[in-house]
Amino acid sequence: MTYLQDLVEGKIDFHGQKIADTITRVVLIASSVIAFILGFAMRSLSVTFTIFGVSTLAVCLLVLPPWPIYNQHPVKWLPVQEDSSSKQTH
Amino acid sequence: MVQDGIEQKDWTAPKHPPHVPIWKLSIYARINGVSGLWSTCLMVLLGAIALSSVFLSADPKGDISITSLKVFQGKAKRYPYKKQEFGFVNFNITADLTPLFNWNTKQLFLYLEAEYTNAQGVKNDVVLWDRIVRRKEDAVINFSGKNKYKFRELSKTFKKVTPAHYALKYNVMPYVGMLTYGEAARTTEAIEFPEAQESMS
Repeated sequence: MTYLQDLVEGKIDFHGQKIADTITRVVLIASSVIAFILGFAMRSLSVTFTIFGVSTLAVCLLVLPPWPIYNQHPVKWLPVQEDSSSKQTH
Repeated sequence: MVQDGIEQKDWTAPKHPPHVPIWKLSIYARINGVSGLWSTCLMVLLGAIALSSVFLSADPKGDISITSLKVFQGKAKRYPYKKQEFGFVNFNITADLTPLFNWNTKQLFLYLEAEYTNAQGVKNDVVLWDRIVRRKEDAVINFSGKNKYKFRELSKTFKKVTPAHYALKYNVMPYVGMLTYGEAARTTEAIEFPEAQESMS
């Protein structure tokens, strides 16, 4: 059950999150600028929206699944410490 | 508890990594981020396209000539007991409207209007003919013919009506943005309505 939940949630680490955010921002903004310029140059709105649509799909494919690149810096948790106070009360 | 000169907080690490609080790392956060920026980009893109057609606007001019204008008395189908006058206009129009087709032009709506002021002092614009141009190849207009729509006056007669100007006007319909109006041709001088003739049939 936890495995299934992990699969659906597609967790990545903090470094991966930063990379994914950067990719999203760069690709989406660049693609809309390129789509406008190319469409304008070729005098065709369908060129514009094809470029924008394809790059949107590309961004989704690149960023949404938890690819291994996004999980190269897993959070290291502190080891479990023996609690001395709890021993005293017992 | 001081260790290696650095003060460390004496705290107990959770036994399991927290599952819910790091919501920002899940696929939902990424979907949220992508769709948010995507919709902003789309809006900016559409705005830029709409704005671009303002700078691409053209003002092509053509020619219009009225070859004949006759007025007959007759009856409209809808009002069989009302005698009224009908104008019959023959005209030639030539215009090259290809400059109006830029990357954001969906189609053109052309229409021929008669403009006059009637006996009551009301300014009337009557559409006599129209055409929809969907392709750039069809934007060179070379048409001669007669009015497509009935030309009648609301007051039933063209008597005491000012001479009319005839103008070819257009709407540019864009894919994104505002509808724009323009005028491609206009008669150089106003044309007077002739006396009404008795109906031929």
